[in-house]
Amino acid sequence: MRTPVAPIAAAAAFLVSTAHAIELKFAPPDFETEYAMPYLFIPPPDGRNTWWEALILFGALSLTTWLVFKARSRRGLFGVSVFSLLFFGFYRQGCICPVGSTQNVAAAIFLPDVAVSWIIVAFFVLPLLFSLFFGRVFCASVCPLGAMQELVAIAPIRISPALERVLGLGKYIYLGLAILGVATGAGFLICRYDPFVRLYRLNDNFGMLIAAALILLIGVFIARPYCRFLCPYGVLLGWMSRFSKFHLQIPPSPCVECRLCEDSCPYNAIDMPTPRHLVEDPAQGKKRIRGLVFLAPVFILLGALGGYMMYEPLSRMHPTVSLSERIALEDRGIITERGNLQADTFRVEGKTAAQLHAESLAIKEQFKTGGALLGAFLALIISIKLIELSVIKKRTIFEPHKETCFSCGRCYPYCPVEEGA
Amino acid sequence: MLEKREFDKSDFLWRLSSTITIVAGLFSLLVFILIIVNYWMIKRADPVNHELLTYLRVEYANAPEKDEALAQRIRDLDLITRKAFFTSQTHLRIGAWVLLGSVSIFLIAFKNMMRWRPQLPELADVPTADKEFLAYAQSRHLITWAGIGLLAGGMMTSYFSETALTAELLAQPAAAEGGAESAAGAGQAAAAVTAPAWDEMLVNWPSFRGPGANGVAHFTTAPVSWDVESGEGVRWSADLTMPGHNSPVIWGNRLYISSADETVREVACYDTETGDLVWKKTINALPTSPREAPDVMEDTGHAASTMAAHGDLVFALFANGDLVALDQEGNQRWGRSFGIPDNHYGHSSSLLAYGDILYVQYDQAVEPKLHGVNISTGKDAWVAERNKISWASPILAQTTFGPQVILASEQDADGYDPVTGNLLWSVKCLGGEVSPSPAYANGMVFVANEYAVASGVTLEGAEGAVTATVSWEFNELLPEVSSPVGDGDRFYFGTAIGDIVCLDAKTGETLWVEEVEDGFYASPILVGDRIYIADLKGNMYVFRTGSAYEELARFSLGEPAFATPAFMDNRVYLRTPEKLYCIEAP
Repeated sequence: MRTPVAPIAAAAAFLVSTAHAIELKFAPPDFETEYAMPYLFIPPPDGRNTWWEALILFGALSLTTWLVFKARSRRGLFGVSVFSLLFFGFYRQGCICPVGSTQNVAAAIFLPDVAVSWIIVAFFVLPLLFSLFFGRVFCASVCPLGAMQELVAIAPIRISPALERVLGLGKYIYLGLAILGVATGAGFLICRYDPFVRLYRLNDNFGMLIAAALILLIGVFIARPYCRFLCPYGVLLGWMSRFSKFHLQIPPSPCVECRLCEDSCPYNAIDMPTPRHLVEDPAQGKKRIRGLVFLAPVFILLGALGGYMMYEPLSRMHPTVSLSERIALEDRGIITERGNLQADTFRVEGKTAAQLHAESLAIKEQFKTGGALLGAFLALIISIKLIELSVIKKRTIFEPHKETCFSCGRCYPYCPVEEGA
Repeated sequence: MLEKREFDKSDFLWRLSSTITIVAGLFSLLVFILIIVNYWMIKRADPVNHELLTYLRVEYANAPEKDEALAQRIRDLDLITRKAFFTSQTHLRIGAWVLLGSVSIFLIAFKNMMRWRPQLPELADVPTADKEFLAYAQSRHLITWAGIGLLAGGMMTSYFSETALTAELLAQPAAAEGGAESAAGAGQAAAAVTAPAWDEMLVNWPSFRGPGANGVAHFTTAPVSWDVESGEGVRWSADLTMPGHNSPVIWGNRLYISSADETVREVACYDTETGDLVWKKTINALPTSPREAPDVMEDTGHAASTMAAHGDLVFALFANGDLVALDQEGNQRWGRSFGIPDNHYGHSSSLLAYGDILYVQYDQAVEPKLHGVNISTGKDAWVAERNKISWASPILAQTTFGPQVILASEQDADGYDPVTGNLLWSVKCLGGEVSPSPAYANGMVFVANEYAVASGVTLEGAEGAVTATVSWEFNELLPEVSSPVGDGDRFYFGTAIGDIVCLDAKTGETLWVEEVEDGFYASPILVGDRIYIADLKGNMYVFRTGSAYEELARFSLGEPAFATPAFMDNRVYLRTPEKLYCIEAP
């Protein structure tokens, strides 16, 4: 019998957090009683994101690199994961995290009035730099999102590599949407829909807590689903890691091709030796590659067209557009129920519906360009993936796939090769 | 430092771990269920509005004197209910931490369980590498289909989300700009308006039944008779196309009326000299307006409430609860919706403005209120909670203790401070569905309602400490809709069955009763020493004030008369269902 661990943990966190909120919602007693109303305390800004936090991030990355390359200690990585979960997760409440910092950097690039602090830049760049030199050591145990999933991945199974690759497109879509959201002023989608930050902050967004619970529950059996299929920062880390000079190796010495590590990676991140016999006629393979390269610009144009056509639904991620449509539908009697917080706030703000609609229309224009770029980006990624899957690189040993390997060290214990053997 | 995984098995440790896993799992499940039950109970609990507590609070509020024993009982019960609620909350909080702890133990034990019966690597007959390279083709197909799916899904989403609304917004941005006025809510920034002084109000006809809505014209001249058929005495007339039972109001040389049916609401402004339509404004639905038209009786209609003219602004209230302020050019300054009143005949209470406040008597079945609305912003300056429903209108009485806003409802006659909205006095002297508004004259308030009783209420005391006592009651002939008027010594009113009644203001004694052709909905107006009142058939009666009925004129208006005429110097403005007349004395 399996118990739903993650939902229970999520529900517990939710209940703890709402209890405080309820108490402050009640009016004080009509008469003086023994009951003392709790004092509503709004903490001042606490000077977060200081240099020492960046230093701790650097330290954690360095320690992880040492654990991955020198100590080859999965237990040590587990310990760093617990630290990251407690420090970057619960203590720093998941902010700012390198995953979310992608949006800050994008905002500084796309929005003229937005600046970005050096600490945010450090949080964004440090994991990428480490990834460029040592692979995704950040994912191994420093990322608080990954750490939480790593801790609950108790009985992971290996899914089909083909399914893994298709689901992996999700993170490119998410990255594209997040950048589009920032560039158009729709907001920080990654933060808005970060399921884990709700757990770190113990706040009461019930929908996101349910999402976190589901991800953790799935993560018991399909390890790190968020990292593999959704994490937008993981895309950038993967790109960097592809070019990493040093990367985790499964055997510390020459591989003996014992195949014991074959099923050790639940992330499908071990590249197998190329079969010694022909799997496919090379001429047919070359023809396919030529065809895909030739068709890539067509795919990109189609993607751009599709993205352009999507501007309408995409624009609804922008709060001004969704509010404008809500107000217009209410004013036309199509929506009759009241109680929408944004709409009610707008009603008392003094701005007119006409002004709101004009703003909304201007934003929709931005989404035409943005949607086309997003569509083109996704089509480019798909084209590259298809070409990549048609190129068979000759490989004689088992080695980690530099882009998708999390450097988690799960494969270490399976390898019988001793160091220096 | 090299770390190797031990693939050792231990049945004992596996059994121990699995036992802990099961126990921790079951315990977590149990705590989880208890927490959910507790959470559900807390969600349902509402200690502040505990049923018995609410009842006791009302009892305490209604008690004539402070009941200390009752207060103590409320304190005790309040404490108990709050303690119960917060104790449950404490349990919830503790339970949640216990749950987190047990889930952590469960996770650790589960992990150890897996550790002590490890799954050894198994080598398949066909190397995984071969299968994986074969899966490249499968991956290409799946990714291609995913791409096609994304494109098709995107296009379909785009197609189905291209709503008429979007097209409309895209095509008509200019039209959207024009709609700004109707969308403006009560919160829209508004320039402060200078409120007219009382003296200025007296030389206008600012509300239902004149200044202060008391039924008294502050002019002494008015034509005594006229003939609309021959045109004798008619200065001008205008055709009306939209229904509305409200009476005309006048400020300066502008006359205002409102009209409405189920779908259209409008305000019209006429030149009092020529009868020309200066402007007519259709009142668009406000963003918060109800989407359904209210159910109203035909006798009430959708525009029964008489407007208020107040210096530079005029105000109109419709049966759907929409209140708007317009300037003299017909520009909407602000609008707000009170929502459809829970009021089974339809809303009929008229507006009254005094100083910076517009009084909106929103007496309905649920949460009746008197709103003191700031004339500049449309926001509530204050709101007074009321007790019962009514269809009457507020009046402003200039008493010797200062001005008061006096209201009648199904149960009470009430006096309010016009600036603060504080209740100054309240007398239980009414019953039934009250439609006639109060009348005030010479320290005496007169309220009456058919099937109930008429009462003379004497106001005494000093400013800020007014007492109201019922001096006399009268329960023979009573008004149903028409409001009474007082000349200081007597009160006059018209009944729905066709009587004009005159009572002695001091004693309530019947001085005279004049039976006429039809009943009265319109109210009598005192002009100098004459009273004008029109019956439902459209007969106008003019008689002299006094202890005996002395008729000065009786003639037909040619149409039924629901509305009460407006009187200005030497002129009468009269609204019938189809016409608007200006009558002028030769």
